[in-house]
Amino acid sequence: MPPPKGHFVLHTNVMPAMPAGAYTLVTSHTGMPFSVAPETTHMTLAAPRYQMPVEQILSTFPPANAEGAFSDRLPQIVLKRRTLPWERNPAGGTATSTTPWLALVVVAEGEAELSTPAPVAQCVTPGVTLPEGSDRDVEQGLYLAVTETVKNKIFPCQQDLPLLSHVREVDVSDTELAGGDDDGWLAVVLANRLPVFDTVNAKPVRYLACLVNLEGQLGILPPPAPPEDRFSFELAQDWTVLAQAKPSPDPLVMGNFNLGGVVLPRAGTGPLGADRPSFTAARSQTVQGVTRLDGGSSMPAASVTSLWSTATAAVATAAVDLDAAYLVRDTMGRGFRYPISVVALEPVFRFPVLAHWSFTTSGDDTFETLMTRLDVGLLGTVVEPKPEDAPATAEPPEVVQTGHIGLGHRTRRGDRLRAWYRAPLVPFPTERDVPVDGKFPVAHASDQLRRIVPGGREDLSLAAAFEIGRLLGLSQLSVVSALTRFRAAQFGAGRARTTVEGIVDMQLPVLAERPDMFDLGRFVAVAVLEDISRNHSDILGPRRPLVDPGREINVDGDLEEIIAGGLGLNPDVIRRRAGAVGIVAALAQTAVPLAYEPGGLELDDNALAGLRNSLAAEVDHVVSVARPLKQRPGTVRDAQLSAPPAPDALDELLARLVEDEPEREDE
Amino acid sequence: MVSNVTSRMMLDQVTSYLSTMIGTLAEHDPDDGDHATPGELRRFLGGLRLLKGVPFSYLVPDSRLLPLESIRFFYLDRAWTDALTQGVLSVGTITTADRAQLEAMYPHIRAEVDQAERVQRRPKDEERLEGAGGTITGFLIRSKLVSGWPNMHVRAYSRDVLPDDALSTVAESHPDRMKVLRLERLAPAVLLALIDGVPEVIHLEEPRQGIQFGVRNAPGDPGDQRRVKVRRTDTGAAVPPVESFTDTNSVTVPFRRNAPGVIDMVQLAGRLRDTAPGAGPALESNEYALQMLRFPYRQVFGDPDEVSGTRFYDLDQFAVKLSVTAWTSTVQAHLRQAQTKSEGQ
Repeated sequence: MPPPKGHFVLHTNVMPAMPAGAYTLVTSHTGMPFSVAPETTHMTLAAPRYQMPVEQILSTFPPANAEGAFSDRLPQIVLKRRTLPWERNPAGGTATSTTPWLALVVVAEGEAELSTPAPVAQCVTPGVTLPEGSDRDVEQGLYLAVTETVKNKIFPCQQDLPLLSHVREVDVSDTELAGGDDDGWLAVVLANRLPVFDTVNAKPVRYLACLVNLEGQLGILPPPAPPEDRFSFELAQDWTVLAQAKPSPDPLVMGNFNLGGVVLPRAGTGPLGADRPSFTAARSQTVQGVTRLDGGSSMPAASVTSLWSTATAAVATAAVDLDAAYLVRDTMGRGFRYPISVVALEPVFRFPVLAHWSFTTSGDDTFETLMTRLDVGLLGTVVEPKPEDAPATAEPPEVVQTGHIGLGHRTRRGDRLRAWYRAPLVPFPTERDVPVDGKFPVAHASDQLRRIVPGGREDLSLAAAFEIGRLLGLSQLSVVSALTRFRAAQFGAGRARTTVEGIVDMQLPVLAERPDMFDLGRFVAVAVLEDISRNHSDILGPRRPLVDPGREINVDGDLEEIIAGGLGLNPDVIRRRAGAVGIVAALAQTAVPLAYEPGGLELDDNALAGLRNSLAAEVDHVVSVARPLKQRPGTVRDAQLSAPPAPDALDELLARLVEDEPEREDE
Repeated sequence: MVSNVTSRMMLDQVTSYLSTMIGTLAEHDPDDGDHATPGELRRFLGGLRLLKGVPFSYLVPDSRLLPLESIRFFYLDRAWTDALTQGVLSVGTITTADRAQLEAMYPHIRAEVDQAERVQRRPKDEERLEGAGGTITGFLIRSKLVSGWPNMHVRAYSRDVLPDDALSTVAESHPDRMKVLRLERLAPAVLLALIDGVPEVIHLEEPRQGIQFGVRNAPGDPGDQRRVKVRRTDTGAAVPPVESFTDTNSVTVPFRRNAPGVIDMVQLAGRLRDTAPGAGPALESNEYALQMLRFPYRQVFGDPDEVSGTRFYDLDQFAVKLSVTAWTSTVQAHLRQAQTKSEGQ
């Protein structure tokens, strides 16, 4: 039954029925009256031995090539097949053992050597031969070479091993852990070493985690030692000096290894190169001339992690390469490639590496310690300098309770003043602008937002905000163009609206209160205007000509005679005078008879009737010119035209004139 | 003739042009709905309201206001951000007509940008929340926490209803939680968070990178010592007191002599066995793993005295639930009653 959602179950181990290896099945019959030849069948239980297939690795912690504060977490690797850590017996033999054959070993940069691919037979300590040498999953594998000192310091004891592997049964719906896993059963191998931070040099440390095969080498593992409750950061052994030696391959091969003045690590315990390969003699001759191989007590100039950053970057670069699968594995080993086995005086042990990844511990503090030590406060809180600290050189910031801070201010005239500034992040809730008469105050220039506080200083907070907003807007071309387009569209719409408001006799809807509703009035206005301009003859009627043709004036006879007659003058008299004094003087001298004089007006009925008739004829003429309507029978306009015209203002005026007549006569 | 234009014409035009004109003047966004302000401008202004792109010296004018290893909470000054948007809108206003138009449009732009603030950060699979602009609060952290633990979890709650160590998996759109409007690393070690409203409690949690095993440096212990808190072997529950380290609820981690950080596993297992309640004679590897499990650490910011966790509903949230049929029948009964009463009179 799978565990309930959000739960997982921890198991001690899951034993395979038989460890991996080659088996022979012998089938024999007994009790028969004749003898039956036994049948022999060969069978191989395959399991990884020198290389962990990628699909068996679910996850690692810390993540490969990660940087972070991992110093309080044990590195781990999660394997998908639950029986994997117990599929081989590290002590050999065909029985299963609760002691896993896999261990996760964490080495710091400079402590050990990760080999380049080598034949699997060379992947174990020279002198050790794994049983069933033909049982190998790959021809070439990697190995981790460590000196005896390092092995004794960082490798797990044999007694530790059962504690370092367990099986986890997770809820399969828990996708983070069981991505792609079938049954939710996983094997977990923990490391026994915390990847601690280099507190001595305060430098990040790059670690390499290696899943090693302990088969046949259980006896090499260090014995239990009395523990201590404290630890200190110190590399188990530092071989990074070899990076400074930069030996060319030739001396390596030829045997006279020139270290060039480099001090080699001291072997802490154990025999000093007692049973080293024959290489020792040649090398020590060369090196001892330079310095004592085993006498260096400390490594003053050794930079523990000089390579960490370049290596991390190199792995990241390799990950994007086409050959990433190979290159990343290879680059992870950078910084762990010192030829330790060539120069070390102590015995060097080799362990096959099934999987490896590197990571960097970049801090000593844990999340918890950092969190609990955080200085908590509202913005505007200034930490008082502790008395034990060095006396503050600068003045403390001029912060007031309102959140304003006094800053140096150079005015436009060049005066050096101090002004107040308050950031948008304030220690108390502030008032937002409220609309005045439905309108928000809008600033158009930053100077509008400069304020003088009662103290006399200027408060430039909002002016600075306005100015940086303007600059940020101007810095983006797309924003400027969007703003311009928006403004143009809005402006056109506003103009159309005003025009339509003048045309239609109707209150156009105002901009909707709710911003998610569009502005109906604006669209209607624009639509109306557009439609009017397209079909103006249908909506507004036929277009009035811009200029009316002038009326033809019919003049019968001499023009001067007619004008003079109309004005009541005698043309002959004027002509005569003009002959004497000129036409202008003659006109000036001639008095124009007035039809009406204040003294007395004599209008008889005949004159009035003539006046009215001529006026009516004139009005008719004007109307006929101004309204040259097509005669469309049946329309409203025809009916209006055919009907007797309603009395208009002129009629009323004339009627009043007639009514007034008797009164005036009464006077 | 004037009356012809206003009544018939208007209706016709409304129906015929409405659909086409919407597309030309109002911006229709399938995600955002219709707005008068163009989406590009609206989103830019919304981001600016959340201080995107504003130089850091404008936010924290003096570095001593945000010292190393500190967290500072704040309210966002709306007047300041309004001035910021007004600065953007002032670009290209040349004539009085431009400015008059801007003043007329400003309330609508302001309201629409208020909405745009809420959708600046939209986590996947989260409900879209809308509403008018309200109070914005937030905090700035300047700490190694930010650089060392990228993707720290930030959760803000309107009510302190959860126990501080409770597992919380509610979505961000849940009413108990407050929306995080902006969560961004301004510098490798400076994190800015803006929260929609005034939270009562804020949780900052270590990023979850799967189940981990580890030790802890107890407060007050030297930096080179580590402890492991024990759990009950039968239930996995922590042994009280939860908050502090004592000799009954934790053990000191034994290290191998002269080896940096190498834990003596057997010794540690022995100590755990002696201390953990309910442990058998031997500590198996699964029990050992249970003891070593480390869950992500969660720091809770809030009022430690406020433990009631009372949740108050606003008056407008109060609603009586009654089926429509029951309501109608009640009303009709009362009407009949009144009718018979009046007829009787």
